[in-house]
Amino acid sequence: MEIKNIKLSQLPAFFDQLIKSGKVVIAPVMKKSGKVFFERVQSYSQVATDYIQTGFSAKSVVFPKVEVLFSFNKTDDGIDIKDSITDIPETIVWGLRPCDGSAFNYMTEFFLKENPDVYYAARKAKTTLIAISCAKADDACFCTSVGLTPGSTEGSDLLLTTMGEDVYVEVITEKGKAAIDLSASLFSVNEERSKEKYLAKIDTKFSLTEIKERIKTAYDSAEWKNESMGCFGCGACAFSCPTCTCFDIQDEGTQNKGQRLRCWDACGFGQFTKHASGHNPKTNQTQRRRQRLMHKFQYSVENLGIVSCVGCGRCIRVCPAHLNIFENILSVTQ
Amino acid sequence: MTPLQNKVAELFENGTISLMIGYKNAINKLAVPCFIDHATQVEQLIYTPECKGNLSVYLHKAEIKQAKKIGILANIATLRSLVQLTSENQLSDIEKTVITINAQNEVLVFDNMEKVEEYVQANFPEYTEEDKKLLEQLNSMTRAERWQYWSEQFAACVKCYACRAVCPMCYCSSCTVECNQPQWIKVSSETTGNLEWHTMRAMHLAGRCINCGECGRICPVGIPVHLLTAQMNLDIEKEFGSKTGFSCNSGYALNTFKPEDKEQFIK
Amino acid sequence: MSEQFEPKIVAFVCNWCTYAGADLAGTSRTKYATNVSIIRFPCTGRIDFMLLMKAFENGADGIIVSGCHPNDCHYTSGNFHARRRWIVFRSLLDFMGFDTDRITFSWVSAAEGAKWAGLVDETTQRIREKGAFTDFKKLDCSTFEKISHDAITE
Ligand code: SF4
Ligand code: SF4
Ligand code: SF4
Ligand code: SF4
Ligand code: SF4
Repeated sequence: MEIKNIKLSQLPAFFDQLIKSGKVVIAPVMKKSGKVFFERVQSYSQVATDYIQTGFSAKSVVFPKVEVLFSFNKTDDGIDIKDSITDIPETIVWGLRPCDGSAFNYMTEFFLKENPDVYYAARKAKTTLIAISCAKADDACFCTSVGLTPGSTEGSDLLLTTMGEDVYVEVITEKGKAAIDLSASLFSVNEERSKEKYLAKIDTKFSLTEIKERIKTAYDSAEWKNESMGCFGCGACAFSCPTCTCFDIQDEGTQNKGQRLRCWDACGFGQFTKHASGHNPKTNQTQRRRQRLMHKFQYSVENLGIVSCVGCGRCIRVCPAHLNIFENILSVTQ
Repeated sequence: MTPLQNKVAELFENGTISLMIGYKNAINKLAVPCFIDHATQVEQLIYTPECKGNLSVYLHKAEIKQAKKIGILANIATLRSLVQLTSENQLSDIEKTVITINAQNEVLVFDNMEKVEEYVQANFPEYTEEDKKLLEQLNSMTRAERWQYWSEQFAACVKCYACRAVCPMCYCSSCTVECNQPQWIKVSSETTGNLEWHTMRAMHLAGRCINCGECGRICPVGIPVHLLTAQMNLDIEKEFGSKTGFSCNSGYALNTFKPEDKEQFIK
Repeated sequence: MSEQFEPKIVAFVCNWCTYAGADLAGTSRTKYATNVSIIRFPCTGRIDFMLLMKAFENGADGIIVSGCHPNDCHYTSGNFHARRRWIVFRSLLDFMGFDTDRITFSWVSAAEGAKWAGLVDETTQRIREKGAFTDFKKLDCSTFEKISHDAITE
């Protein structure tokens, strides 16, 4: 891995080059509500720098909340079908956290391992991820419990770590290299050193090895009921999660004009498992909450060999009932 | 043990309740709902200014209804929703004991809804200063500016339906958004559909919303959705003189009428 | 000279009074604007506000909602209920910044064929002056870009 250095004061200049490259740049923006969201930006002045984590993850860049798969239009000459995969822009995501970077690794496995999803593949191929290490964390962050750190490089293309007046740049992939090459003169050679003292300190909540072992038998735990009783069955946790990938295919329009859409869905919704017959195998919120947690810590391990919770803490911050995934996991694996 | 914990322990011990819905501490100084079924667990119970969530939502859950005797810790908004729900005949199948803590920090226990109603009427809350300010701002905008404001807000809605999930008055076993033959509200989240969703929600809650503000508070993208129903309640009070969550017999303003109702716009 | 804009008006009317009134206008050969498409309901009480939203979404430029005069409802009180709902719906639309002048609310009895014709003419003229209803269409393009975390789909 190549290591570079850039002066902290030069970051805006680097950022400007990214904008000038003509690519779509998505970065965290502080909204009037005080919450921070990824949004398309035009200049560094719009970018939020003092925040712990964005409200929603950057997954919408590769897995939009509503994605048009194709559209059709009936004309006098027949039916005009438009494949939307052709107009995907080159995109740079700036300022995602290391945990989010690693979430892209999981998504890539999920979408591309068997039956590759062309839409995901096309978007991912055109996306560059520039992550920024965390110097601060809150009580909801628990990346260190799921095998990551506030300075993990997994999944990202470039990782920036501020060290005083300098920014330590880890060039992880070719895409990352291409991004810094846009303003090569701003970067100087640097040597590998420890980031440790510049990273947030996050206590581990549990031992992942133990949890992975114990969750195998946790399905029947009596604690699920207690831990899920507060759950309202909304989509807030799944929609904000960087690794929740469930979707619902919808056709919208009329016989003359319409589109096929892929929309985010959430296993917390009561209707999620409802069959066409009207039968619903999941009858209560306990089963739904269990599905979500078991998926993160058990099913994705079985299917892809990855714990799919990256410890970003979003579902904890966003939950209207303030349910806490790591506490829940601990208690069902007691 | 706090006076609240003592009281709840006592209610368990004398058999008044078999399940207590309250709050316990969570990280980031938040309060998470907790469900206690034994006197030995009462030490989790807290009551702090962070206890804003409206616990009466849980009374609609089948698992909760199974518990025959339910104790519920209620802030003033929750008390109002209990009153409104009673007037909508939603709580008749459960035996409940309502516990609140008044401004003097005394633990009060109500064993029937008449007492709750009396307490609510004596302590009827006003809109928060912040909401008053926001409503005033919105009302002083031009129509086009309001349209712009709400369009931008609704554009950000992801249709997670958390606002519906936390609302004690949204208790329909099958919501209109889930109805797909015909489909009233699109599944996809796009602005016209989002606007329709919020129009529908506000209409269903106008005159029933008890202004707990929870829907706006918990929206993950920060849309102040509670303002829609807050404004409708003001209009309804002005037009028809009825207040929500005020009386156990008041019913629902849009479910009734007076022949002398007045308006200026029907030609 | 550009062609005069002809608005699409959808009328939601009750079967017993306004529909009969419109019928009377027809049998008396009263001339009135042809812009209106009438949808007949059993009662104004059945005219759900979502139907109005759907009409606008599907291209209506203006809407007429009409039924029996107060105290004349075939089902005794459907129009009284409807009146309350319209009052609230109209103020909700106004609070959301929707142009409520695009909706005409009226009472037209079975004997008021002339009133019906006048109502349609007046509404058509008003909407013609306002122009096509584009607020919903504009929404989808103009605000989409602002959607946080979804900005890329422009
Ligand atoms: S489950 Fe929660 S903490 Fe884990 S990755 Fe998803 S949002 Fe983050
Ligand atoms: S855990 Fe929280 S955010 Fe997730 S579905 Fe339940 S109430 Fe909603
Ligand atoms: S909680 Fe917010 S984002 Fe979710 S459906 Fe309601 S308004 Fe939309
Ligand atoms: S939005 Fe309307 S239909 Fe849906 S749950 Fe609420 S009141 Fe019921
Ligand atoms: S403020 Fe919101 S959550 Fe509370 S009752 Fe009204 S609509 Fe429901």
